[in-house]
Amino acid sequence: MDNPARIDRRAGLAGGAVIAVLFLVILVPGVRQLGVGVLSVLDASYVRSALRLTVPIAFAGMGGIFAEKSGVINIGLEGLLIVAAFSAIAVLWWLGGTTGALALAFLAAVLASTAIALLFAVVCIDFKADQIIAGLAVWLIALGFAPFGSIIIWETVNSPSVGTFDPLALPVLVEIPFLGPALFRSTPPVYLLLLAVPFSWYLLNRTTFGKHLQASGEDPKTLDTAGISVRKVRYAGVLISGVYCGLGGAGLALNAGQFIGGGETITAGRGWIGITTYLLANYNPVGAFGASVFFAGLDALQLQLQRVGGVEISSTLVGILPYVAVLVILGFVGKTRMPGAAGEHYESED
Amino acid sequence: MDRERLTRSLDRLVDATVLERLAISLAALAVAVVVGGVIVFLSGAVATCRDPALVLGGTAMCYDPIEVYLTLADGAFGSATNLGLTLQETTLLLFTGLSVAVAFRAGLFNIGTQGQMVLGGLASALAVLWVAPVLPASGLGALVAIPVAVLVGAIVGGLYGALPGAMKAYADAHEVITTIMLNFVAMGVAFYLVRNHLGDPTTDAVQTPSVPEFVRLSPTISGTRFSVVALGFGLVTAVLVYLLYERTVLGYDLRTSGLAPEAAEYGGVNAERNIVTSMTLSGALGGVAGAMYVLMILYRWQTSMPPLGFDGIAVSILAANNPLGVIPAALLFGAMKGGAIQIDFALGVPPELVEVLRGLIILFVAMPEFFRMLGTRAGYGSEEGAVATDGGSEGGGRDG
Repeated sequence: MDNPARIDRRAGLAGGAVIAVLFLVILVPGVRQLGVGVLSVLDASYVRSALRLTVPIAFAGMGGIFAEKSGVINIGLEGLLIVAAFSAIAVLWWLGGTTGALALAFLAAVLASTAIALLFAVVCIDFKADQIIAGLAVWLIALGFAPFGSIIIWETVNSPSVGTFDPLALPVLVEIPFLGPALFRSTPPVYLLLLAVPFSWYLLNRTTFGKHLQASGEDPKTLDTAGISVRKVRYAGVLISGVYCGLGGAGLALNAGQFIGGGETITAGRGWIGITTYLLANYNPVGAFGASVFFAGLDALQLQLQRVGGVEISSTLVGILPYVAVLVILGFVGKTRMPGAAGEHYESED
Repeated sequence: MDRERLTRSLDRLVDATVLERLAISLAALAVAVVVGGVIVFLSGAVATCRDPALVLGGTAMCYDPIEVYLTLADGAFGSATNLGLTLQETTLLLFTGLSVAVAFRAGLFNIGTQGQMVLGGLASALAVLWVAPVLPASGLGALVAIPVAVLVGAIVGGLYGALPGAMKAYADAHEVITTIMLNFVAMGVAFYLVRNHLGDPTTDAVQTPSVPEFVRLSPTISGTRFSVVALGFGLVTAVLVYLLYERTVLGYDLRTSGLAPEAAEYGGVNAERNIVTSMTLSGALGGVAGAMYVLMILYRWQTSMPPLGFDGIAVSILAANNPLGVIPAALLFGAMKGGAIQIDFALGVPPELVEVLRGLIILFVAMPEFFRMLGTRAGYGSEEGAVATDGGSEGGGRDG
């Protein structure tokens, strides 16, 4: 029944990809030279760094899907990432080098992000705030609090280096040629992400909870009539986005080992790119993950090429690619369909 | 529904809620100040300082929130220089606040003022650098160059606002998403252009050369960059926008086209075109803000412009999207920005506190239901009405 939509989607993605490639070919001088450079850096270590960069984008994107599918547009994903990244580093710094400190810091970050998401849920669901404005407020508060908190704790907007996750080689699996060292010598947040992608898809498409979630965003009245609390389902959707952003933000910070509070902070717009990924993928977690890998891969590529030298892609132009892609899809290809009741408050009759 | 009846119902909704909106804005402001004070007080326990404001059970509390707010006020209004700093911020916020308010009036949420301002400002600086050499370096030259700069800023900002407007009207792309994305694109493109093609080749900084002396708006208060001419222009613009929306047929059509496109079409209005017009107007005001920033503050375009576009959202929301309300709201946020340096300088409180306050104010204004509940609990009658953020006249129409 959703066949026409699916065809449009495929055409859209293909069109987007073609435009993306043209974009690179036209704007980047010395494409042939670039090709040689690209081939020389495509190795296992490149894949690992691309996956590390994927963590915050994909978690934010998948989290956003759960919130929006439930009917609450969470535009504050970027803010939640900032909160998680800051909490992770602050807690790790406070605990010092004790054993298990990394795991505790990771956990604390997820809790902090989830707590803010809970607050956002209360504001949107019980106090009927405009979701867009409340989400924007979450982002702006986090964006202001990041340098504020950093200065309070470290007396400068950036934290000192406090330690990172070590790569964890999975026995046996790491022996697989190429795939092994590329995928199975990663840090714990990357493994969590690789597990979270199929889990999210399953949760959304194959469980009763997933069905309730989708109904809550499409047709809350029917769900309500069936005796399911729209309020609870929406709380669950928003809280999942909080947990996911917690995992993404903590993963980002603990892979880097430092919090940067100046400018756009360490998250550098990755929460917004997360939003672009699920819009491009029409709310499919697997597609959002794919788009995240693509954008993070480009980012990593540009970093690697800088290191190899000789080839310079404008990092600025690579940086705006996700946004251009989503604008092209929304404006000219269309058919990213928001859940019918997303953004609207639902008033239960009883 | 005929136009007469629609007008009456819109008017009634607005009139019925003006007082409530004012109350909500003031209450939100008060709660944000209290919450901000608690944050400052608690963060004082973590911060390190030489003479704490208070010692609680062995924990040194570095900051006294009341002192922080008094210092903030002193930093904003305490001297002629401080006042000048406040007013120069106020002037810029007038334009970005109006930009957001104009879109909101038509039920459109323009988060893209920042990007419109960045590109408008860049175009404005380039236009000045281009025309200035052929003009006499005198007041006469300024009379030509300054209007050109403002006009070019408005045109480029307007076109950049028209883009998401057209995407909304003709492709049904949500303007919130498109304007956010266009902000990033604007910043990226401007950065790329200035760094690689248009920038000042004598420096590594990503910036254009300075505009010549005679084009700069001369400071009214010495020691600051505040120009009373720019403020006057901003105030006149606010009044004109108010008159446009409240007293003209075009303003009425713009409002209804965004809020109730079907009703507008039924009344013989081209709703799509009006949505594009609203966003163009909004973008043009953002572009003028960029031009003002170049002519009054920095005298050149430079990357990483301050987030005046996002401040504009706060200004507009606090003003309940009323163009005249934007004036006091811009002054309030201007004062916060102007006084921020002082709390850092005098008390060692990170000036980013005012950004936290900005977010809190937006958050609390966005949840009128919270204050209605408080009011009901305190014994006042609960009243169903419009929320403070729906564009000024949509009211409960969507749910009802």
